[in-house]
Amino acid sequence: MSIMEYNGGSVVAMVGKDCVAIASDLRLGNQALGISSNFQKIFPVTDRIFLGLPGLATDVTTLRETFRFRVNMYTIKEEREIEPETFAHLVSSTLYEPTGGFRPFIAATDLIGCLNFAKDFVVAGTASTKLYGTAEGLWEPDLDPEQLFETISQTMLNAVDRDAYSGWGVVVHVIEKDKVTTRTLKGRMD
Amino acid sequence: MDHFPMNWGRPRNDALDAYGTYPIAQRPYNGPTDAFSAGVQHTQQPIVTGTSVLAIKYKDGIMMAADNLASYGSLARFKDIQRLHPVGTNTVIGAGGDMSDFQYIQNFLDQLMIEEFTEQDGHSLGPSEIHEYLSRVMYARRSKMNPLWNSLIVGGFKDGKRFLSYVDLLGTTYSASTLATGYGSYIAQPLLRKAVEGNEDTLTEDEAVKIIEQSMKVLYYRDARSLNKYQIAKITADGVIVSESRSAETQWSFAEGIRGYGAQTQ
Amino acid sequence: MPDMVALSRQQPQERQFNPYSENGGTILAISGADFSVIAGDTRQSEGYSIQTRYAPKVFRLTDKAVLAVNGFAADGNMFVKQVRQRLEWYRHAHAKDMPLRAIARLIQTMLYARRFFPYYVYNILGGIEDDGSGAVYSFDPVGSYERESCRAAGAAQSLVQPFLDNQIYFKNQVPQPGMTHPKHLPLGTVGDGLEMFVVLAKGSPLYGLENFDGVQEMTSTHEGERIFVVRRNLKRD
Repeated sequence: MSIMEYNGGSVVAMVGKDCVAIASDLRLGNQALGISSNFQKIFPVTDRIFLGLPGLATDVTTLRETFRFRVNMYTIKEEREIEPETFAHLVSSTLYEPTGGFRPFIAATDLIGCLNFAKDFVVAGTASTKLYGTAEGLWEPDLDPEQLFETISQTMLNAVDRDAYSGWGVVVHVIEKDKVTTRTLKGRMD
Repeated sequence: MDHFPMNWGRPRNDALDAYGTYPIAQRPYNGPTDAFSAGVQHTQQPIVTGTSVLAIKYKDGIMMAADNLASYGSLARFKDIQRLHPVGTNTVIGAGGDMSDFQYIQNFLDQLMIEEFTEQDGHSLGPSEIHEYLSRVMYARRSKMNPLWNSLIVGGFKDGKRFLSYVDLLGTTYSASTLATGYGSYIAQPLLRKAVEGNEDTLTEDEAVKIIEQSMKVLYYRDARSLNKYQIAKITADGVIVSESRSAETQWSFAEGIRGYGAQTQ
Repeated sequence: MPDMVALSRQQPQERQFNPYSENGGTILAISGADFSVIAGDTRQSEGYSIQTRYAPKVFRLTDKAVLAVNGFAADGNMFVKQVRQRLEWYRHAHAKDMPLRAIARLIQTMLYARRFFPYYVYNILGGIEDDGSGAVYSFDPVGSYERESCRAAGAAQSLVQPFLDNQIYFKNQVPQPGMTHPKHLPLGTVGDGLEMFVVLAKGSPLYGLENFDGVQEMTSTHEGERIFVVRRNLKRD
């Protein structure tokens, strides 16, 4: 068993017209046993940057703090907010550090590192293959925020319903120039 | 039927596992045994082996090539082995893998052709029938866990139709306008596809020979289990021709310039 | 079949011949009220090598039954051969084609007969039932099966199946108030080449199939069920 499957969880992010959306499931498990249905995997970094971290829960928590620390240091040093692209590189370089526990994230790093560069969508986590299928079928260019919300929601819900390690609710953040809309979706609880 | 009542209805072996802790109880086996089973050898690995076989479709039929080497591990053991074998007047089979298994195949196919000939019913086995027969034999042997350890290419020309197909030790079959076995499937296949795909009906014999020669040369350069002595088979409307052994002109002077692998002083 | 009991009694061997391989590819079937569509890509591969770009894995069995096989190609081809032989015997014995649900049970029996040396093959059977309804049956390698309206199997199963759940079963979708979900939709899939069989029940409309790219009708009897095949070339990468 890969450590990605120890706690389960998946994240998807999509690009729309003047907006992006990021969604994750809410499950925390101990392999097949469900533990929590409110385990957040998406964290706000700045007002307009969200980071999705599926994987081993202990690393998720640790990394979240690591990034908070590094982004704070950046903000103090530079006296300005970090740019999404800069942050992507920060994620990339942090995860590439040859620290034992962080290593398994390298694959996910590429995906998250690509977040800002992909022109359609990126996926990560235990439901990644399912997310690829649904996203490839549902996504189209230039979706407005409401359409993007519907697309990412359907992508996520249908993908996690076919993944034993993801599910138990979904949270979606739609990020626009001047606002962020967060919605929690009702999903299958089996 | 287990004729030992002491075994009946016992979920476990009390002597070994009184409390039923370890997986599932093993009951003693009292069924029939093959006293000679230790003496039956199944092919577990190939011994004397041949490397790649190449085959392409061209305007007039099928062209195939295979070198004359049968290796014993890394030893170039037999350097005059023919790996292209005509079966009847319309078919050639080429083989990689275990050469003793291949010679057994040659033998039973020749036998089969004689049996069919003696029927004198006006029918003869063509390439597609031979391929079908071979694939059934190969699949049956793999299903007995006693495979014939070969990758075979069957090429032929009958009733104005070209035939080119593959079958291997697992019974896997497929056909395409270019085929290659063993190392050739990695190294020669891309070259063959580039040259042949889409041109099957226009390639002349000379062009086909050139493509095959070029591919055999590349294989000789890169495949350590190959030999610069090979034969080319043509199967056309005129029947089967397997050429005399030939060799490709090679150029090794560049090797002088290579540093870092051998015992050079500089 | 090798004596597996005897094999397990033997001393552990140094190296064992592996009688299986995985030849890639994906198959897919969808059924509607009076039709059934069965598709499969035509690439055959082993590891990173493409063996051929045209090795069909969707086979027409009768005028109203199509079988798709995916997994180990040698097992798949041999299995289809044996199913066809059993159907021919049935035809000779009963002077009619075997009904779809009977073919489904036949397949389960044949697969389970090899429970201890399985055909490494995922089967999807599509066609028209005797009552005129479109049907899809899916099987696991040892014969467990069920009737469904859509199923994907093979390399891209995990990509395709959730998409089908969403688009065919309308999972996670709520119809507009007072509305219901529509009946069916066109589709496409992935691979080297594509071969798609469409089986229409007696008297069924064509659903615009006659204008389809690369379509070809396969049946000779226009009285009964009609089978169409659609062949497409897809990306050659």
